[in-house]
Amino acid sequence: MNRRTLVGLLLLWSLGPLLWQVYTSFCSDQALIQPFVSHDQRWTLIHYQSVLNANPPFWRYLVNSLIVGISSTFLCLLLALPAAYALNRIPRQLSALSRLALVGAALFPYVLLFLALLELARALNLGNQLLALSLPYAALSQPLAILLLNNAFNDLPPELEDAAKLEGLSLFQRFRWIFIPLISPATASTAILVFLFSWNEYPIALTWISDSSKLTLPVAMARIAGSSIYSVPYGAYAAATVLGSIPLVLLVLIFQKPIVSGLTSGAVKG
Amino acid sequence: MTLQIQNLGRHVGQQWIVRHLNLHVEDGECVALVGPSGCGKSSTLRLIAGLDPVSEGEIILNQKNISHVSAAQRAVGMVFQSYALLPHLSVFANLELGLRVRGVRPSDRQQRIQAMLELVQLQDRADVLPAQLSGGQRQRVALARALLRDPDVYLLDEPMSNLDAQLREELRPELRRLVLDRQKPVIHVTHDQHEAMAIADRIAVLHSGRIQQVATPTELYHLPETLFIAKFIGRPQINCLRPKDGVITAVRPESLFFAKEGLPCKLMSREWLGSSQLLYLESPEGSLRLSCSTSVDIPESLIVSWHRSDEHYFDEDSGRRL
Ligand SMILES: Nc1ncnc2c1ncn2[C@@H]1O[C@H](COP(=O)(O)OP(=O)(O)OP(=O)(O)O)[C@@H](O)[C@H]1O
Ligand SMILES: [Mg+2]
Repeated sequence: MNRRTLVGLLLLWSLGPLLWQVYTSFCSDQALIQPFVSHDQRWTLIHYQSVLNANPPFWRYLVNSLIVGISSTFLCLLLALPAAYALNRIPRQLSALSRLALVGAALFPYVLLFLALLELARALNLGNQLLALSLPYAALSQPLAILLLNNAFNDLPPELEDAAKLEGLSLFQRFRWIFIPLISPATASTAILVFLFSWNEYPIALTWISDSSKLTLPVAMARIAGSSIYSVPYGAYAAATVLGSIPLVLLVLIFQKPIVSGLTSGAVKG
Repeated sequence: MTLQIQNLGRHVGQQWIVRHLNLHVEDGECVALVGPSGCGKSSTLRLIAGLDPVSEGEIILNQKNISHVSAAQRAVGMVFQSYALLPHLSVFANLELGLRVRGVRPSDRQQRIQAMLELVQLQDRADVLPAQLSGGQRQRVALARALLRDPDVYLLDEPMSNLDAQLREELRPELRRLVLDRQKPVIHVTHDQHEAMAIADRIAVLHSGRIQQVATPTELYHLPETLFIAKFIGRPQINCLRPKDGVITAVRPESLFFAKEGLPCKLMSREWLGSSQLLYLESPEGSLRLSCSTSVDIPESLIVSWHRSDEHYFDEDSGRRL
């Protein structure tokens, strides 16, 4: 097999389902079942109209998910950045031990925690509050975020900070002038991972939120898919999927450069 | 205005990295810190700069004990071996950062940085990132940053080790002009003994964390206190004869000369050094190095001798001078 067909197959593998969803979302229900209907009946925006005009309208879920995603990403980075820095300054054995614990925590299947989290939400009255959802999200992403950012800190030559200390920069100033700019690629890729996690998370969102105007995307999508036991609303579901992935596509397009350089940083020192 | 270091030491775990360090550097005096790799030169500078905690002893700068003062509060200008310039900031911004956090007014900063860039001859490189500079230019930016700090003591950690030999030689007078004219104590770390002898007023030889001798270059060359120093200072390396009764006799290669009577030797090989040549000889006293002028014709077997006054004696066990 030559290289071109291989790339073509890979593209089909990863993009095929996406394109199919886009196609489905613009297709009338009839056309989906009967492939040979005439053209003016085939293409339609009805699915988009139906999800956007539903009560609550679909953009509501987008906004909800954005709120949760942004707040949990922000909270997670706010805690992970100092922690990742500190991990480099504590005694070596303690640092190695902490890192091991973090790897363990990062690999732990969080679904096992969700019953306990539900109890917590009940006890602390955190149910049906969007911003409260960012607490478990930020916490669950914390281990991975700390590890990734710690690697970025590791890659910085220690003399940079030493020189800054001699220049009289306080810890806060060193973060502002040295660390934040220099680890921004790693921060961007970490932020995307955290954001993605909260964007996709299902079990916690399902159990913590019941108020239909406060649902996040995955839960809302599941509701659309299961809204009727007699039929599966393929078209509406596909439209929701397309709408739900637009923010992610935008995000990745904007941060494409830093993400790629973040994922490969550390491979080559420079 | 002097730097005084008394019995300075630092240990990590059980291991002493630097210990029993005593050094006194006057204003406008440059002391070179030399020694083999890993002997604690950088560690010593980091202790003086306040980047590592002091385990014992005292650092006194201008009659003030600064042993436990934070790095920011010690007025120390340091040039790092790797230069430690911020890669994402232009030359100008690199120099400006320190002034900014120390609260210098913007117009003032502009003026001082311009003047400094002129001094180090980098006026036209102000807006360039460090990565776009040559090694020598980076070194001058690092130096400019230290100079702008207007410190009470200068610490230079192998500032020229990343440069090639020719550039090093060219920059030496410049370093003198820029740093030594400030009339502040200067400690210059180097592993290049030529550089140490060329720049420094005194040389401190460090060996596994202890200072073995502090002396002027001539003193160090003519009266080395230990065998280690005798071997470390002076190239080609000093000759050590077979130990007799626990005493090692050492003679410099340039003290040897051809004679009618003396030690019979066989020529093993020779090295051409430009202005002189180096002969490797085999003798009953062990192998010898002899350096002489290039105009001499060398036979296969020859007799060498030296004046008794050129001999150095060291104790075989302790390596101390006798
Ligand atoms: N934080 C530390 N923990 C443990 N050992 C250390 C630490 N810092 C330095 N050392 C040890 O101290 C010794 C001296 O290190 P130092 O960097 O001062 O050497 P140096 O004389 O500057 O060498 P070079 O010429 O290669 O730069 C080394 O053996 C090093 O392993
Ligand atoms: Mg060093």
